[in-house]
Amino acid sequence: MTTASNAKVAGLPPELGPSRLQLWLRAISFQLRKNPLITLGILIVLGWFLVSLFAPLVATAEPLAQNVTNRLLTPGTTVELSDGSSFTYHMGTDELGRDIFSRVVYGGRITIPAGLAVIIIGSLLGTVIGAIAGYAGGLWDELLMRISELFLAFPTIILALAVTAALGPDLNNAILALVVVWWPTYARLVRSLVLEIKSQEFVEAARSIGASNRYILFRTILPNAIAPAIVLATLDIGNAILTFAGLSFLGLGAEPSSPEWGRMVAIGIDFFDQWWMWLYPGLAIASLVMAFNFIGDGLRDVADPRTRNG
Amino acid sequence: MKLARRLRLLIMIAVFVVSVAMVAAQDEAVLVIGHAESTDSLDPARGYTQTTGIVNRAAYETLVTFPDQDASEILPLLATDWTISEDGTEYTFTLRDGVTFASGNSLTADDVVFTIQRLQNVQGNPSFLASNIESVVANEDGTVTFTLAAARPAFLAELTNNAFSITDAATVMENGGTDAADAAETDAAEVYLNSTSAGTGPYMLESWEPQVETVLVKNPNYWGDEPYYDRVIITNIAEAATQKIALEAGDIDLALDLTRDQVATLEGNENLTVYSGPSVYTHFLLMNADPELGGPVSDPTVQLAIRYALDYEGYKALWGGVTPPTNLTVGLVAAYGEDKAFTRDLDRARELLSEAGYADGFDITLSYPDFTWQGVNMNTNAQKIQADLAEVGINVTLNPGELQVSLEEYRNGDQGFAYWFWGPDILDPIDVISFLPGGKVASERANWMPENAPAEINDLIAQASVETDQAARVELFAQLQDYLQESGAFAPFINPAVQAAYRSDLQGFVYHPQWTLDVAILSLGE
Amino acid sequence: MAFHIYFLRRLLFVVPLLFGITIMAFLIANAVPADPVTANLPQNALNDENLVQAFREKWGLDQPLHVQYLTYIGNLLQGDMGRSIKTGRPVIDDIKQFLPATMELATLSIVIGLFLGVGVGIISAVYRNSLIDYVSRIFSLIGVSFPVFVLALIGLAVLYAQLGIVAGPGRLGFRTADPPLVTGFFTVDALLAGDLKTFQEAFSHIILPAFILGSYVAGTIARVTRSSLLEVLGMDYMRTARAKGLGERRVLWHGVRNALIPVVTIIGLSYGNLLAGTVLTESIFAWPGIGRYMFRASTSQDFPAIMGVSMLIAIIYIVVNFVVDMLYFFLDPRIRGEGR
Repeated sequence: MTTASNAKVAGLPPELGPSRLQLWLRAISFQLRKNPLITLGILIVLGWFLVSLFAPLVATAEPLAQNVTNRLLTPGTTVELSDGSSFTYHMGTDELGRDIFSRVVYGGRITIPAGLAVIIIGSLLGTVIGAIAGYAGGLWDELLMRISELFLAFPTIILALAVTAALGPDLNNAILALVVVWWPTYARLVRSLVLEIKSQEFVEAARSIGASNRYILFRTILPNAIAPAIVLATLDIGNAILTFAGLSFLGLGAEPSSPEWGRMVAIGIDFFDQWWMWLYPGLAIASLVMAFNFIGDGLRDVADPRTRNG
Repeated sequence: MKLARRLRLLIMIAVFVVSVAMVAAQDEAVLVIGHAESTDSLDPARGYTQTTGIVNRAAYETLVTFPDQDASEILPLLATDWTISEDGTEYTFTLRDGVTFASGNSLTADDVVFTIQRLQNVQGNPSFLASNIESVVANEDGTVTFTLAAARPAFLAELTNNAFSITDAATVMENGGTDAADAAETDAAEVYLNSTSAGTGPYMLESWEPQVETVLVKNPNYWGDEPYYDRVIITNIAEAATQKIALEAGDIDLALDLTRDQVATLEGNENLTVYSGPSVYTHFLLMNADPELGGPVSDPTVQLAIRYALDYEGYKALWGGVTPPTNLTVGLVAAYGEDKAFTRDLDRARELLSEAGYADGFDITLSYPDFTWQGVNMNTNAQKIQADLAEVGINVTLNPGELQVSLEEYRNGDQGFAYWFWGPDILDPIDVISFLPGGKVASERANWMPENAPAEINDLIAQASVETDQAARVELFAQLQDYLQESGAFAPFINPAVQAAYRSDLQGFVYHPQWTLDVAILSLGE
Repeated sequence: MAFHIYFLRRLLFVVPLLFGITIMAFLIANAVPADPVTANLPQNALNDENLVQAFREKWGLDQPLHVQYLTYIGNLLQGDMGRSIKTGRPVIDDIKQFLPATMELATLSIVIGLFLGVGVGIISAVYRNSLIDYVSRIFSLIGVSFPVFVLALIGLAVLYAQLGIVAGPGRLGFRTADPPLVTGFFTVDALLAGDLKTFQEAFSHIILPAFILGSYVAGTIARVTRSSLLEVLGMDYMRTARAKGLGERRVLWHGVRNALIPVVTIIGLSYGNLLAGTVLTESIFAWPGIGRYMFRASTSQDFPAIMGVSMLIAIIYIVVNFVVDMLYFFLDPRIRGEGR
């Protein structure tokens, strides 16, 4: 890791030089100016956050309200209501006559928190396990790493399928299943970073002045290992959302009537001709994942200077 | 020189083989059917699914049968004639002469005895159909006599089920089959019968590749009229949308499991003909009579309120079909038509709920299998049930289960509030007894027991199970249905229509309530 | 380091991993909540205590968990994966039937992903920061952002239903017989049999799903190729090569060869993921492969099948990565202790 060399060059404990975090922030702000895609990504993500937060204001109808007489209407259809006013279905209606536009708007309220939860819990769990393995070393290291290898050997969707099958299909269980799949990558990354940092001078220095294990691990090692884990997490959010959408596509996510994007696409298999039923929620997933990928791609350039210009 | 001669010979053989193959390919009339395969087994004594019905209808025959299009009367097939004893417990069948199995063996009374005993003893999925038969005996004059434990008005209707397909005893025994009492353990013919058939039908099973395709070819030894198609391929296409695309592209000739919304978009296509007709499947809510499981829905007043709260017209808008007045499939008995069915009355439902002490509604979980049956997506219906009941203040949480998991809970009677569908085992009014106290679904799955019902209802049920006089039956079943509407643990809400579509020049397509499709009566027009 | 020492050392890692995988597959399969007895015996047989008992004994369900596991391992070492409860056939036979379809799809996807990814990656690196670099990067980013099931639906709607350029679901038209079985890959078998018409049909069926899966792999490969090539191009020995007066094209070729080393790893990882990741694709394209078999098995509590398949895929994954490690030995001088 090239990043580790910054502190080494400074030859000082990180508290005295510009901290890693500061270095990162500087690099990020540099990238932000250089790479318009990051800005675009941030804007889209921000847009989705706002839309989800203010969903009741953005949506034109209740996402769960059914009306079988107005089912399978094409996008843009305007209907007369009984009170004489008219209502336009911007994205058409689904098989139970629900307004797809409003459902797509509300869908962010499920998918975004779910994706974030997977990443946050998965990376925290992975970081803790990785830190323990790297710091404790020896038997613990061997054991934890062999277990993480086992988890990695099972392809994501197969393991997630098996876990949700065992726990029962439910939103929380889907998130839990993905956490089970997610942590090993972080554990291995953090472990390798901890191993690297452990051997450096400022850690040796802390140890020589009699700092406790806990102090060394949590105050000197982890802060230096956390930044790459955060980058990996950001890169990963898009992936987590995609996998979550895949699970809900298979019917293993939230309750059937909830406006979950993956589930909304799944009904498209039955309604192939009614493209609006699956295309709009599909585009919603894609745009959100794309935005995170734009951000992640830019951050990767920060993390990996080889691809940087120059 | 030698080499050149050999080469020439080789080329000649190759040309010959190719041309023969081409001629064969050109002359063969092939029918390709797209179908969501549900086959559990093609052994008539073990298979009990819709697909098994289609395949075995072509490869096997039963003693008696229904007409091609419905279940209105009993017709002879392998039996030309039969007599029934005074007390209705003895049936003697005269077998058709000159019938041979696909193997060339002649049909005898012993084959019939073997078939029935094997069905009873292998303990397969359909074996319960034969549980009322006490004995089957081959008489010296070549006839067969069935003795029943009790008079059974629906016995002949039961015999039309393909579980009673007469199998070639010699061939089945050669391949490990047995009709002995321990056949459940010792019968090993299933593997053979899953790859080849041993019946008298117009077709023979050529191959079955599970979840891929089933191939039928003409039976050269068939006793009756030769069918039109030389080869029938039933290709497994699980997704209805894919069936539709394949049909439009001409990849398949007939799509069996389309949804109502799909056939709507096919209406304008003049190359295709759309079929839409009534099915015999009733979709219903189960409200467990055990208060521990059902909670509020175990209360008969709440049960009635729920029957008033459902938006029956809405389900018809979704799936077509008819609203069933009770779980008795419409059309089987003259007493009850759709005119007697419930209509939605939200005020009445709310009134009943407050009468039962639930003026503010209640929370409940609805269990159901995440499954699509004949184009009807149960998830869609469950979401509508949720919305319907929300209007009277009942807050439903949906709990879709994987089919096997949910089925297990249902069969064990563990579900308090559930959504299921039911297809009659026998196309006879007697099937509704399953939904009355003491019947299979009512007792085992809804915990609705005879002691929950008044004595006169239990008497009516007992009479209805044995009564053979048509007029008396109509009267009995009408009374039972009155009772079911008022007090049932069930809320049947839709008998969806079934949809199929096929190329316009295909002739003879009929959707049969018992065996779905008889491929032997299909042909290609000009 | 000599090759055989490297080989043995890596092998030493693989063996316990394989054992761990059998344990984990076993635990996963047993965590499924439904009782296989009720799920698989007919209703009337459930009332018969003897039949239920016989079923439990037949599948060893009456034994404690660790005994069940040991029995399973014993059989496995003899090549017996048990019998699928659902299909009634040996799991190994089911796998033999369904695996080739998935492998054919995964292999073609990798090939497409490799060509597309390496090509785009090289162009991006050579014309770094040019318009073409940006466009290809943005496109690959957008491509990997679409859920595979959405791309599949769009692809089918446009290329199949609207334009009719490619064939629809399935491996072959429903009227076409399978080519004579040699490899189990329909495209290859059709060519071996000299049957161009069947080849064309098989190809037209596989190309859309393979392209969709391949474009995912391509995105990753392009990214790795680009960054790895950029690194290599900036290295001393490249400067040396240039200084020596080698032509720019020769220099680039030299660079590409070295830059592709990490791509080998990606291919190994992707192949394993593809074998499993086809669950979604196979369900949309009605592809009779191992993904659909696994999904069906996991929804019917068919645990011999669940174990068989998840273990198989994990093992393939490990073996592929083992092979990649071996390849590395020859590709990367650093492992041999040469170079740096």
